[in-house]
Amino acid sequence: MLNYIWAGLITLSLVFAIVYDTRDLLQDTYRNGEPLEVEIDFPDGYDEAARRLSVNVHLEESYFRSFYNSFESPADVYEGIIIRTEDGTQLRFAQDAALPSPLSTIRDITSPRDNDLRGPVSGFRLVGDSSAVAYVTFPFVRFVKMTAIADAAFGLAETAVTLALGLIGVIALWMGLLQIAEKSGLILRIVRFTQPVLRPLFPEIPNDHPAMGMIVLNLTANMLGLGNAATPLGIKAMEELQKLNPEKESATNSMVMLLAMNTASIQVVPPVMLVALMGMQINQLIFAILIVTSVSLFVAIMSAKLLGKLKRYRDTDPLRPATSSNDHQSQH
Amino acid sequence: METIRTIIDIVSVFVLPLLIVGFPIYGLIKKVPVYEEFVEGAKGGFTVAVTIIPYLVAILFAIGMFRASGALEFMIEGMRPAFSLFGIPPEVLPMMIIRPLTGSGSVAVVMDMIQQFGEDSILVKMVATMFGSTETTFYVIAVYFGAVNVKKTRHAVPAGLIADAVALILAVFVVRWLFG
Repeated sequence: MLNYIWAGLITLSLVFAIVYDTRDLLQDTYRNGEPLEVEIDFPDGYDEAARRLSVNVHLEESYFRSFYNSFESPADVYEGIIIRTEDGTQLRFAQDAALPSPLSTIRDITSPRDNDLRGPVSGFRLVGDSSAVAYVTFPFVRFVKMTAIADAAFGLAETAVTLALGLIGVIALWMGLLQIAEKSGLILRIVRFTQPVLRPLFPEIPNDHPAMGMIVLNLTANMLGLGNAATPLGIKAMEELQKLNPEKESATNSMVMLLAMNTASIQVVPPVMLVALMGMQINQLIFAILIVTSVSLFVAIMSAKLLGKLKRYRDTDPLRPATSSNDHQSQH
Repeated sequence: METIRTIIDIVSVFVLPLLIVGFPIYGLIKKVPVYEEFVEGAKGGFTVAVTIIPYLVAILFAIGMFRASGALEFMIEGMRPAFSLFGIPPEVLPMMIIRPLTGSGSVAVVMDMIQQFGEDSILVKMVATMFGSTETTFYVIAVYFGAVNVKKTRHAVPAGLIADAVALILAVFVVRWLFG
């Protein structure tokens, strides 16, 4: 399934990028090479000889909309500067200005580092003492989505490494602590205490096996919203389950069950991130989250169990010979 | 209700320090060479993190491309009519699609909606409940299975996504029932 989802995501990205870019070309979304008329005034006064002038740029709404065939409204005024060099005059919008689309896209593409929209000015003509009309031509913008998907691929590949390496510390901490817990017999005590309840969900785990203890710790951490601890504990649980797996490349039913229970774990305490986002409002939502997660936990358990009974998943079960007698019993 | 909440809050603050200190103390009592064992176990941290990398790269870059291409927005637009038919407000739809795919993406959606509608609005309560009730399934799959080098995930993806779908839809109706 993951093969198809993965290939589907990548293929669709390319298809959509081609479709959107072709549409942009056909509709001339960015009006490449065509000058945009802007009104300029000079808050510090106009100086013919100055190489650098700060300006306020005005985009007239109806003109802007018809020029770009856009529904966005430009703000009343945009700060910017005019720079005069031997090569000509250039208008630069202020850095990170809240430009309307498609100007924001043109900026993102053509000035990714400084993040200021810029373009050469032509037909500069003073109106009165401190204002002017000018035409700005922005650099060509083509294949926006094509560039975007390539950038996203490289950018997120880097993010993935940062994320994974960022986990080294917490994983090491918890693996060290769990090693002590295991050697001291603490895990075994947790296992003995909880296995009567969890046995039906993880029938493949032998009696008194540490895997059950790690699973309990992982699920508890999840319930308490301790994402930091839950991930290393879950990884440790997976390692213990992998020891019971004769086919190292395939997931066992217990692994699938653990994963399903993780994606839909009961939350007694909401995740730290959500508390940060919602502030005190979170108090009202605890009950709602509790109801939703209780139901979804039940659904997760049921779907892991029932999907595991489908023929295609039974045939790929790494522990198939050992569990086949159980399957027969449950079918009677 | 308020006291229960306070107790839970206190427990959740204390549970980590207690575990971090409790495990070694219990080990000491049981005469385990705690320092040596800790280091022995912690050695695995680096290997695990590095093992996860290829899996995480595979998942994250594919999802990143999908978002960047505009396909995700298209999907959200396309599903709008179907969802409003079932009484799900169209504003919460982006969250429902993005939630299993990216954690940072869903945080951005919640923040964006708080800005747009305010913390008190029922729509924000819906997306916040969605956020709190589900996990970034594809990330969890990449990390958990990646850590043990399992490539054939069998029914993990469908099981996780079914649970997600139920939680996401249920969040709408539970919030509406409680606050609507």
